[in-house]
Amino acid sequence: MYTTEIIGAWFAVFLTLAIFSFLYKDNPFYKAAEHLFVGVSAGYWASTFFWTQIQPNLFGRLWPKLTEEPSGIKAAWYGIYDFFGWFHEGIFPGGGIDKGHELNLFYLIPFLLGIFMLLRLSRKLGWLARWSMAYVVGLAAGLRLYGFLNSNILAQVRGSALSLFDGWGTAINSIIIIVGTLTGLFYFFFSKEHTGVFGKISRVGIWFLMVSFGAAFGFAVMGRISLLIGRFYDLIQFSGSQYYHATYWLLALIVIILGFQAFRERGRSTEEA
Amino acid sequence: MDKNNFISIVIKLGKVDRRVIFLLIAVVVLLPLLFPIGLPIRATDTTQRSFNAVDALGQGDKLLLSFEYGPSTKPEIHPMAEAVLHHAFSKGMKVYIVCLWPDGQFMAIDALNAIAPQYNAVYGEDYVLLGFRPGGEAVVKGITSNLRKLYTVDYQNTLVESIPMMQGVNSLADFKLIFSFSAGYPGTVEWVQYGSDPTGVPMSTGTASIQVNEIIPYENAGQLRGVIAGMPGAAEYEALIGKKGLGTSGMDAQSIAHLVIVLFIIFGNITYFLERRRSEKKY
Repeated sequence: MYTTEIIGAWFAVFLTLAIFSFLYKDNPFYKAAEHLFVGVSAGYWASTFFWTQIQPNLFGRLWPKLTEEPSGIKAAWYGIYDFFGWFHEGIFPGGGIDKGHELNLFYLIPFLLGIFMLLRLSRKLGWLARWSMAYVVGLAAGLRLYGFLNSNILAQVRGSALSLFDGWGTAINSIIIIVGTLTGLFYFFFSKEHTGVFGKISRVGIWFLMVSFGAAFGFAVMGRISLLIGRFYDLIQFSGSQYYHATYWLLALIVIILGFQAFRERGRSTEEA
Repeated sequence: MDKNNFISIVIKLGKVDRRVIFLLIAVVVLLPLLFPIGLPIRATDTTQRSFNAVDALGQGDKLLLSFEYGPSTKPEIHPMAEAVLHHAFSKGMKVYIVCLWPDGQFMAIDALNAIAPQYNAVYGEDYVLLGFRPGGEAVVKGITSNLRKLYTVDYQNTLVESIPMMQGVNSLADFKLIFSFSAGYPGTVEWVQYGSDPTGVPMSTGTASIQVNEIIPYENAGQLRGVIAGMPGAAEYEALIGKKGLGTSGMDAQSIAHLVIVLFIIFGNITYFLERRRSEKKY
């Protein structure tokens, strides 16, 4: 019985082994898996963004579900909606979008900015995308400035304050943190040559930075090994009889094809020589 | 064998094809998965503090979980998400889930399907999945100021108004604890900056190993109550709640692989110095 679960398992095994095959060398299996990943990711993100934000939160606010028969300008406004609905009823269902919103025409501004962003593809109208970009950059800068100032500067300065009266362990930790912070900042001060006392202090800063890089490397290794464990779990699981030994069959297939390719390449290079 | 020959062999081994190293790592990861050893697991202070933060909540307390990871970091973060869900449901907390990553929604569904039935938790009464909203920090800021404006429907398009456990929940201030499962941006940092710090709602987190260095300063400064760090952190949390899961079973492989990598690094350095000394002697 070939269920979707079994087909999915075979597909997952194939893609995992195809990606792993890059460890041997670049090859068509790896390329296929890589391209598939990029394409599926882009499509998946676009689709999710549309159905979780644009359709319910943008269109849902511009054309919310009608509770009574519209008249006048509102009727004309919903006439546009009905026209869109003629193209795709799934996105624009009859009578408006029921996502719990009320009509809010201010959302025409993000709607227009979104359309401007897409106009980047046009040579003549591409300049309109700058308005959208300006909005995004301004918003992000303003939003991030507040967050960083409050949480990364003020709170961190407060957090690195010396705490000498909460026991020996805490006091020593506090001293290490404050020495590390100050010497690290000295190292990144480039307006003065790193010589003499200044040079010695910044050298201590380098040591702290190196410890930090070492810890980062250790965590990176830990993360990568965890991911490898995750893939091995699936490969072990899918090697079972309920999945028709997918791992063994596909591993053998990929090894044989790559081996054959390597054999042919060697033969060709010998002939050329 | 004389000393020179031995050094030559060591230097030659140091130049071994990298594919041999890949193969060795694969073997040392695979073997403990097939034949577990059961190495002891002891909770570190940061994991203990995370556990304490969740454990301090009681029946009916509102816990906000945020899923910010996808399949690429599932082996690290999913075990901790399941462990925290075990902990929350076993204590009768009300669990609210939001996602800053689109994949996070599927991870949340996966974790809920595995854990909620074990505690007869009912959707809408004991837990709710509000789903994914794009926008990163803007979403966190939206939840902080007015959750109802951002989430009018849940992940199944059910109107939030009609969900019983959403009564009286209007903003981040209505929650007792925020817990973020994060693999990068947007994630823990954005929750600290735009959620926990401005509102004062306590927060804890479980992160991918690669992010731990970035997150630890927030924990040291008291902006976070504990950090579950990668797969070992997940295993420690599982040990604290007494439920062995994927985190625990991966720890043998993790520990042995680390040991082998450390040996490789030491060996690589030895061969590097031997080779350098030999070339210095030549000239």
